Amino acid sequence: MPATRKKRLRRRTLRQILGGVRRRARRAAGTVRRVWRRSLQLQVVTSTLVISVTVVVVLGVFLSDQINKSVIASRQASAASEAFADRVQIADALSQQPDEQAKPSDSGKNVPANPLDGVMDTITGSVEDGSKKRYEVLVLNPAEPGASRASGNVTPKNVPEALRQGMRRQIDKLPYDKPQRQQALIRFTGEAQPRLTLVIGGLVSPDSGGVYQVYHFFPLNEEEQMLSNVRLAIVVVGFGLVLLLAAIAYLVARQVVTPVRLARQAAERLAAGKLDERLKVRGEDDLARLATSFNEMAGNLALKIHQLEELSQVQRQFVSDVSHELRTPLTTVRMAADLLYDSREDFEPMAARSAELMQAQLERFESMLADLLEISRYDAGAATLDLDSVDIRDVVLRAIADSEALAERHSTRFELRLPNDPCMAEIDTRRVERILRNLLFNAIEHGEGRDVVVTVGADRDAVAVAVRDHGIGLKAGEETMVFDRFWRADPSRARTIGGTGLGLAISREDATLHGGWLQAWGQSGEGSQFRLTLPRAAGVALKGSPLSLVPPEIEMRRTWRGHMTPVLLPASGDGAVHDEV
Amino acid sequence: MTRSRRLGAALAIVMTMFAGTGCAVIPVGGPFPMEGAGGGEELSKPFQRMIAVPPQRDWDPVQVVKGLQAAMAAYADDPTVLPAYLTPEAARAWRPDGPVTVIGNAPQFSYESKAGGKEVVIKLVGTPVARIEADDTYVPASSAAQEMEIYFTLVRDQQGAYKVKTIGSGLGLLLTVDDLERAYRPTNLYFLAGPPAAGGVMPDRRLVVDRVWLRLRPTENFAQTIVRRLLGGPSKALHGAVGSVFPQGMSVRSVRSGDDRVVVDLAGPIDPEGVFADGLKAQLKWSLNSNNMANGRTIEVQLDGEPFFSSDSLTVPANWREEWLDNTVKPAYFTSRGAVYSLNKDEPGNAVQGPAGQPSEHRDMAMAESGDLVAARGRDGVGGIWVTRIAPDGQWEQWIQGARLTAPSWRRDGTLWTYDLANAAVIRCDPAAGRGPERVAAPGLDGLDVTSLRVARDGVRVAVTIGDSEVRVGAITGGAGAPMLGNFQTLTTVVDERITDIAWLDGERLLVLVQSKDEKVQSVREINIGDGETTQLPTGKRLKSITALRAGSAGDRILAATEDSNEILEFSKDKQAWSRLVTADQGKPFFPLG
Repeated sequence: MPATRKKRLRRRTLRQILGGVRRRARRAAGTVRRVWRRSLQLQVVTSTLVISVTVVVVLGVFLSDQINKSVIASRQASAASEAFADRVQIADALSQQPDEQAKPSDSGKNVPANPLDGVMDTITGSVEDGSKKRYEVLVLNPAEPGASRASGNVTPKNVPEALRQGMRRQIDKLPYDKPQRQQALIRFTGEAQPRLTLVIGGLVSPDSGGVYQVYHFFPLNEEEQMLSNVRLAIVVVGFGLVLLLAAIAYLVARQVVTPVRLARQAAERLAAGKLDERLKVRGEDDLARLATSFNEMAGNLALKIHQLEELSQVQRQFVSDVSHELRTPLTTVRMAADLLYDSREDFEPMAARSAELMQAQLERFESMLADLLEISRYDAGAATLDLDSVDIRDVVLRAIADSEALAERHSTRFELRLPNDPCMAEIDTRRVERILRNLLFNAIEHGEGRDVVVTVGADRDAVAVAVRDHGIGLKAGEETMVFDRFWRADPSRARTIGGTGLGLAISREDATLHGGWLQAWGQSGEGSQFRLTLPRAAGVALKGSPLSLVPPEIEMRRTWRGHMTPVLLPASGDGAVHDEV
Repeated sequence: MTRSRRLGAALAIVMTMFAGTGCAVIPVGGPFPMEGAGGGEELSKPFQRMIAVPPQRDWDPVQVVKGLQAAMAAYADDPTVLPAYLTPEAARAWRPDGPVTVIGNAPQFSYESKAGGKEVVIKLVGTPVARIEADDTYVPASSAAQEMEIYFTLVRDQQGAYKVKTIGSGLGLLLTVDDLERAYRPTNLYFLAGPPAAGGVMPDRRLVVDRVWLRLRPTENFAQTIVRRLLGGPSKALHGAVGSVFPQGMSVRSVRSGDDRVVVDLAGPIDPEGVFADGLKAQLKWSLNSNNMANGRTIEVQLDGEPFFSSDSLTVPANWREEWLDNTVKPAYFTSRGAVYSLNKDEPGNAVQGPAGQPSEHRDMAMAESGDLVAARGRDGVGGIWVTRIAPDGQWEQWIQGARLTAPSWRRDGTLWTYDLANAAVIRCDPAAGRGPERVAAPGLDGLDVTSLRVARDGVRVAVTIGDSEVRVGAITGGAGAPMLGNFQTLTTVVDERITDIAWLDGERLLVLVQSKDEKVQSVREINIGDGETTQLPTGKRLKSITALRAGSAGDRILAATEDSNEILEFSKDKQAWSRLVTADQGKPFFPLG
């Protein structure tokens, strides 16, 4: 159906747009979060901004409220007193006897027949020389004809209904007259816009009878105008204050943050090995003292490192020297021992056995000495690679062939998982073979006779070999310690294959020399796995390994148990494994 | 700078700021130059209004009629209440238009039929005071008028409340004096002297006052009401006699207060380029200022909310000094033994030059505006109107013949006016045009016993006495070629008294010297010709004749000649008393014109 398709298309488009927007928003939020987390200055300014906005808003509202109250209250008070005075005047005028009113005044002016007219003239300022009042008055007496008056343009309709009803209710309760007020927006006759007006209603009940409702209309537009000006001023000042505070916070934060930032950069450079990095010290304040302390620390650190380096150098030199020095007498001893060994059949059985023992231990001594020399070469930085492009499978097969004899002794079988295609890599075959031999020997040694699985993997950038045994495994935390020199898991256990305790350390150095990784995984009762990952091309940094460090069956079991967190140790180069004893 | 010193400096700054700003709420200081403050008069005067209330069910018929009258007083502001007093038929039949009747306060009400009946008739008896015509003219009721009786017929409606079924004798709105004072204001409008010219330039830069009574409108300021009425043209009394720069169909959009000015916003078919702008300015300025509106403020005239002229605005500066009213101080004269003397402030002056200064038998002297021509009636038996120049070589010449002529009266255009009693005709003599005496049509005076004729100083109004009991005021209408007298209306009538002399004070007020028939009581009445408002001046000695002049800021000068002691007296308004100026033998005081 074309329509449905169209709709779907549109929906998809909309969803895509939404998705795009969401992605962009998330990215922007991420950027903001990152900037926020990285900038102390931004944090200080933002916090100041938020706090000052809160304070200014609270203060502004309070201030505005107070001013409102005082202005309106004073206006209401003056209005109430004016209204009261007018009501008294009206009551007085209306209470006078009619004959008093009828007397002609001296001025010869017409005296109004209704005293209400006279008093209204006075109140509204309609008399000669009268001035216009600020308010309008409405006198209402619906019960009598011609007894209602108003000034200006107010009409009875302008009285708010609630106030009118309040007045009506009061008429019944006389003489308990209590004026009422109401503020309302009133649209007067002939005016386009309603005006804010304070209406005060009161009752006048003169002695002559009748009840007059007197309403005063006080315009509040001037007050409203003033208050809105004040409010505008408060808003503008508040806004300015917030900006000012933010600027101040920015400046102050910059004063503090800039030295801190310099200190951080110096520390980073120090961490990167530039031990002569120092901070400039200005003044005597806390930051200056921080800089002084930093400089002292850096100085002490450099001194200590230098001392340690020297010490380490001395130790290495010592080991190297000792190894070399031992070689010469050892050669002599070896020659003598070989002589004895070759003629052991001529000796007494006891002597013959001693000659064999001496021969064996001499071999071990020699290999240990060789390992020591090798590792001292590494320490001296003298190790070099002899690179050759080879198929790693061949290297693996050669190493396995070398290990066959030992495997047979331990009744261990190898299970090989090799890819069909060649796995070419630029490697130093001698060193890689040594690594693999080491790993295989360890696996046989700790495999307790069970199968050792050797897996080879490759991808575009790297090749990897994993050696898996099913022995006692490693305890937590031992994955890194296995690569330490002369480390052993259980010191009580005897070395059966005559390891020197330096094999894995050397292997790690070999792998690192290739730019590769040697890592270990192990778990108590589950055996262990060592993985060697090497770049196909020398000098290329590794991004990952073609093989998993954790054996696939363990991984699957974990997944099935619901542990969805595959254990992937950081590819830091530090692995774990068995002690090679 | 050390830390303590820095701290001290900061403290000093803070203290200075506190001292400068924090101590005084309103700082003392000055003097400073001020912006031009928008002072001046308000555009509205405070006023109160009657509020009409609908009839209550428990009201008796008299209360209903009182309420109806109150509703009439409030009708212009709120026409919705009044019909509630009337039966539906009466509401349909009654018309509020027509003249407004004004009666005295507290009219009497009485039942003409049995109270409480099905149909009740209430009689209202009131003293007629005035009538306000549709053209806002205030026509005072004659003092001889009878009490006014108005009958109201009331019936009960279905709810039992009384409603007015008929209102007596086609009565429109009925107001009491109080109602009038509340809602109306006497207002002077100013029009250009001379008959209306069709778009041409007005010949005389002079204004004529037209007094009307305007109703205050709560929805607009009074200035706007004045301008609206000004645009409506003159009242009947000046119809055809004065002109206005505003063509018919003009309206006022608003009159509002600006910063330092009053803005009059007009609309209508006026041609800004061709209009007589000075006349427009004068009409607006005097019409507003004389009613205490926009005094001391610049008036800006706008057309449809835009500047009046396409390129510029039309403003009347507050200090526009041009004089459009004849308020100039003029010398006073008096006659003694037929000779004209100038009258200085407190002493007799010299006789004027020429034959006018010589004793003669000429009577009723009148001086032209220029002060160089004197007209007089000839001695008994000769008659006629004689005129001489005030110059050594002047000679008495007879300008108008006739045995029975009234005293001559100069108009400000130099023409000489009198009334020929024998032929019952108004005679005019125009020496500038080289024309001899000619009759002027005056249809309003046909068949009347005209005993004196006085042309006012504004050159438009004319006052005549009819017999010795009535004064009528009219106007000179028609163009210069064919003037006529018209628009005559009774200003005052006297009963049991006789009018012995009249004199114009200015174009607005006429002095009337009245004597009771028994010759015992005499009074001088200053009557506003617009609304008959009368001020009585006291008299001491018996007066023979009066003359008066309004001389701007110098105030009014009122002179009189006594009948017995041959004295010239002057009235002092401050002292409210007459004081003697000079002695004159059979003399009369007079001012030029009037």
